[in-house]
Amino acid sequence: MAWKTADIVVIGGGVQGCSSAYHLAKMGVKNIIVVEKGTICSGSSGRCGAGIRAQWGTEMNCRFGKACLERFENLEEELEMNVGLDQSGYLMVAYKDSEFDQLKENIKLQNSLGIDSRVVSKDEAYEICPGLSADDALGFTFYQRDGHADPFFTTFAFMESAKRLGVEFLKFTEVIDIKVENGAVKTVVTDKGEIDTPVVLNAAGGFFHDIAEMIDLELPVHSENHDILVTEPVELGVCPPMLMSFSGNYYLQQRPDGTIVGGCSPVGHPIEYDLRSNFSFLEHMASVFTKLLPRTRDIRVVRQWAGLYNMSLDCQPIMGEAEHVKGFYMTGAFSGHGFMFAPVTGELIAQLIVRGNTDMPIDMLHYRRFAEGKLIIEPAVV
Amino acid sequence: MGWIKEHPVLEFSHKKKVKFVFDGKDLEGYEGEPIAAALHANGVTTYRKTKRMDRDRGFFCAIGKCSSCFMVVDGVPNVRTCVTALKEGMNVETQHGDGQVALLDERKRR
Repeated sequence: MAWKTADIVVIGGGVQGCSSAYHLAKMGVKNIIVVEKGTICSGSSGRCGAGIRAQWGTEMNCRFGKACLERFENLEEELEMNVGLDQSGYLMVAYKDSEFDQLKENIKLQNSLGIDSRVVSKDEAYEICPGLSADDALGFTFYQRDGHADPFFTTFAFMESAKRLGVEFLKFTEVIDIKVENGAVKTVVTDKGEIDTPVVLNAAGGFFHDIAEMIDLELPVHSENHDILVTEPVELGVCPPMLMSFSGNYYLQQRPDGTIVGGCSPVGHPIEYDLRSNFSFLEHMASVFTKLLPRTRDIRVVRQWAGLYNMSLDCQPIMGEAEHVKGFYMTGAFSGHGFMFAPVTGELIAQLIVRGNTDMPIDMLHYRRFAEGKLIIEPAVV
Repeated sequence: MGWIKEHPVLEFSHKKKVKFVFDGKDLEGYEGEPIAAALHANGVTTYRKTKRMDRDRGFFCAIGKCSSCFMVVDGVPNVRTCVTALKEGMNVETQHGDGQVALLDERKRR
């Protein structure tokens, strides 16, 4: 006898899971259960850098980014909760000729898709980011509509709206197996009991590929530890935009409470689940802070933490239904840009599940692209 | 207010007198002693203004724990003046709110 039955079980109470559950409920699905092994937003969503941008280098991501900005701009009204949106822009910094050329290429593409990004001079960059010192930089690009939102506010807003539409959230409930019968999803086995359901949505973030393995699906995906730190608050105006560089390997930004948040990618992208703080990151990031924002030199670091980037082979998301198991849907492997895409990807995967088609094309994001060699190479990832 | 001359437990061996600036005013204190001690001796009791209510904060725990004595020292906000040693020529400012990291300075320096 099953513990519970559902029409859809969403695995993962992060921003993807909550957004997907909300959109599913909004489309009329009745019996939705979200299963989360910890608390809502306790995984990668709550640990992320929280940037939102349309400054991408592929058409697909530019379209996603632009759609996400539009969604975020209206999210507070739609969900009736503050999501902490701040559109102070993204200031991209290039240190190499080839990198600056690529950024300029990206700008051309972005402009052609209605994204009003532009190349800015050093003087203008200093005006946009008064704390910045970047004498060794070769060029900058900027888009005012980019920015950041609060990942906790956003995830909670999706959760609360989903709850109002009848979605059930099971916290501290870990999925340990998925039972398949006649090539279709039958039961989700959790440590609390079994949930019978015909449809599962895998939105497990850092553990996305572990859930996929439960239906014997091997994905070219791994998780890695990305560290981030936050300083004590100082008065606003030090670094209003998200300051980002691909070759410089950093992102930094002052949050509305005055604290400055910054992180980078680990060298060599090793597989790493250990999220304990390490000193080498602190030392490295502190030197990045003092080089870029010299006057933050003597302010204190309050804390550092880490989260999992769920990386696919081409650093692009995996969305779609499993080929051999009917009813097993996936939205994950966002490779570090899951938070910003969540309002749109949650809606698209809900459309795929309910209607079988989507408003924006996502079939190129199916995992079969790896076997077919149709990787999506995005030049603008950190 | 002034300097403590006698104390039942502690001994004071004031050494070199140095000049420093507090909110644009020239003051004097002893080198190596806490900035807060010099301010206190000069009759300064308000070290910072709180962020939301704009209330006065000053000398409180005196052991670097309470955040009450945070000031902007040489352009760095949130300096614990009760445990930071005074040096010749220091620029000590009342901190308003979270404290502004000096930005213009750096621009001129480049």
